[in-house]
Amino acid sequence: MKVSVRIRRQASRESKPDYQTYSVECSEGNTILDVLNKIQWEQDGSLAYRRNCRNAICGSCAMRVNGRAVLTCQNLVGEELEDQTELLIQPLGNLPVIKDLVVDMTKFWNNLKKVDPYVSTASRQIPEKEFLQLPEQREKLQSAANCILCGACYSECNSAAVNDDFVGPHALAKAYRVMADNRDDRTKERIEQYNQSGGVWDCTRCFNCNEVCPVGVEPLDRISQIKQTILQQEKMEDSTALRHRRTMVELVKEDGWIDESKFGLKVVTDSGRDLKGLVSLIPLGTRMVVKGKMPWPWKFKPSAGKLEIKALINAVSQHLKDQGKI
Amino acid sequence: MTLKYAYYPGCVAKGACKELHDSTTGIARVLGIELVELEKASCCGSGTFKETDEFLEDTVNARNIALAEELGLTMMTQCSTCQGVIGRVNDKLKYGEQSQRDHVNQYLDGHHYQGTTEVKHLLWILVQDYGLDALKQKVQKSLNGLKCGAFYGCYLLRGQTMTRYEDPYHPHSLEDVFTALGATPIEYEGRTQCCGWPLASYATNASFSMAGRHLLAAIEAGADCIVTPCPLCHLNLDSRQPEVEKVIGKKLGIPILHLPQLIGLALGLNPEQLGLSRHIVSTSSVINSVLSR
Repeated sequence: MKVSVRIRRQASRESKPDYQTYSVECSEGNTILDVLNKIQWEQDGSLAYRRNCRNAICGSCAMRVNGRAVLTCQNLVGEELEDQTELLIQPLGNLPVIKDLVVDMTKFWNNLKKVDPYVSTASRQIPEKEFLQLPEQREKLQSAANCILCGACYSECNSAAVNDDFVGPHALAKAYRVMADNRDDRTKERIEQYNQSGGVWDCTRCFNCNEVCPVGVEPLDRISQIKQTILQQEKMEDSTALRHRRTMVELVKEDGWIDESKFGLKVVTDSGRDLKGLVSLIPLGTRMVVKGKMPWPWKFKPSAGKLEIKALINAVSQHLKDQGKI
Repeated sequence: MTLKYAYYPGCVAKGACKELHDSTTGIARVLGIELVELEKASCCGSGTFKETDEFLEDTVNARNIALAEELGLTMMTQCSTCQGVIGRVNDKLKYGEQSQRDHVNQYLDGHHYQGTTEVKHLLWILVQDYGLDALKQKVQKSLNGLKCGAFYGCYLLRGQTMTRYEDPYHPHSLEDVFTALGATPIEYEGRTQCCGWPLASYATNASFSMAGRHLLAAIEAGADCIVTPCPLCHLNLDSRQPEVEKVIGKKLGIPILHLPQLIGLALGLNPEQLGLSRHIVSTSSVINSVLSR
């Protein structure tokens, strides 16, 4: 079959990008990487891209194909063309282009370093034998340990696109991987570190990382696990992000539905204690009043099932407490 | 046969975006869709319950679904986030192990989750159950010439993994509805991405930058308005648009419509009844362009 392949070309870091279309003879069972190889070997030797293992292990060949990041050695032409008429190939997003489909991953690696991505045993004495890990202990970190650091999740991350400080889903998946490791002895410091700005609360839960990860790490779920651990800490310093989560549970337990004005005051103004927060709500509040959009507390109607919901959340909370989870 | 659903309104459609509830019930009347409101339901947690513990999200929403099961009806949501959260719980419990259902049911006093119903967004109901041809026949005022940019919401596209309505990166259900109403769909980068709402209470710069880049892209692609099936996206894109403009340093002024408001205009409903004056960014350009036809 003849396939039309549109590729984003860029001669150097500074040059303007352009698109070039190639027509390639290939089969449905070819990988996208096969197609790129055919172009480079048979039509245009100037095309630059990364490749290595051809087996979804090394993570070198991640690129954007038809709008989202994939490992080009893993995805097949036939699957890609099920509902598209051509292959659109672009470099990974959120990273600067060096040439054509090759991106500069310095920021990606630097962000990974920020989470201290190594199992720490520094404070322990060197044992006579190696540290042992039971299968069930390994199981806890298995999905995070699958990460091949290909950059697909980072490419599609909505938070990384607008927030330079956010370390990214790859780094936080690794953070969970070391935190969940029974051989690591820095859990307390890690919890404090990942709770800071640039850490887990800067994730916007867009699901893109879960969606594009080629090896099932599901970074968003790992980020949620770190958040759970943080929320379980009794002595964690209060913050708007933590209040946001706790207030949600509290208000649903009280009324079934969220009383939005109460929610805003509790979360953003810390029930009136945070003056800066209070001031920040004034312009929003004013324009909502003017447009008749203000969810006044006296207009709020709790759920007719609120007592049932309260009992349910209390019972679930007790169960989680018994398990040491909250 | 009359279409009938267990209507899960969600918190925002009864509060800051009351116009969503009004327009949904308004178009349902015209289309002859019967809605039985789940008065005893509760907030889905908007994805944050899972951050405390997944079991909390599962039990609270198993109860919500059980309420629809008791009526023998499919649950209808009108919010991308509610859909993604409740739909995921339904997928997990319905297709998972019996032991998971049993565990959840131990906590549902007076209710029993069985896994016998579906959770469907209004958008999917219109396309799948009602049908676009039938919708087209109800159009009183064609939206011919109105250029609409879709904004889907993350949870609608990617919240559920076991049952999927459409490709999360190449969806077309909203655009298909626009076309059925006579409007012109505008494709732009960002229509499948995040509005920034989850961060709006504490990481405001990131949140509003996210909203800003998508709104700019839609304007540059020629959209007259944005249409969303998610009231949380609506809050960040409309109510916070003045802050968004400040963060990106550019004037935007693009009206953001709830999906049933756009449909309501085409069905000939009164803009006031659709709550089109309860927006922060004026919707008069859209109303005028429709009414002048």
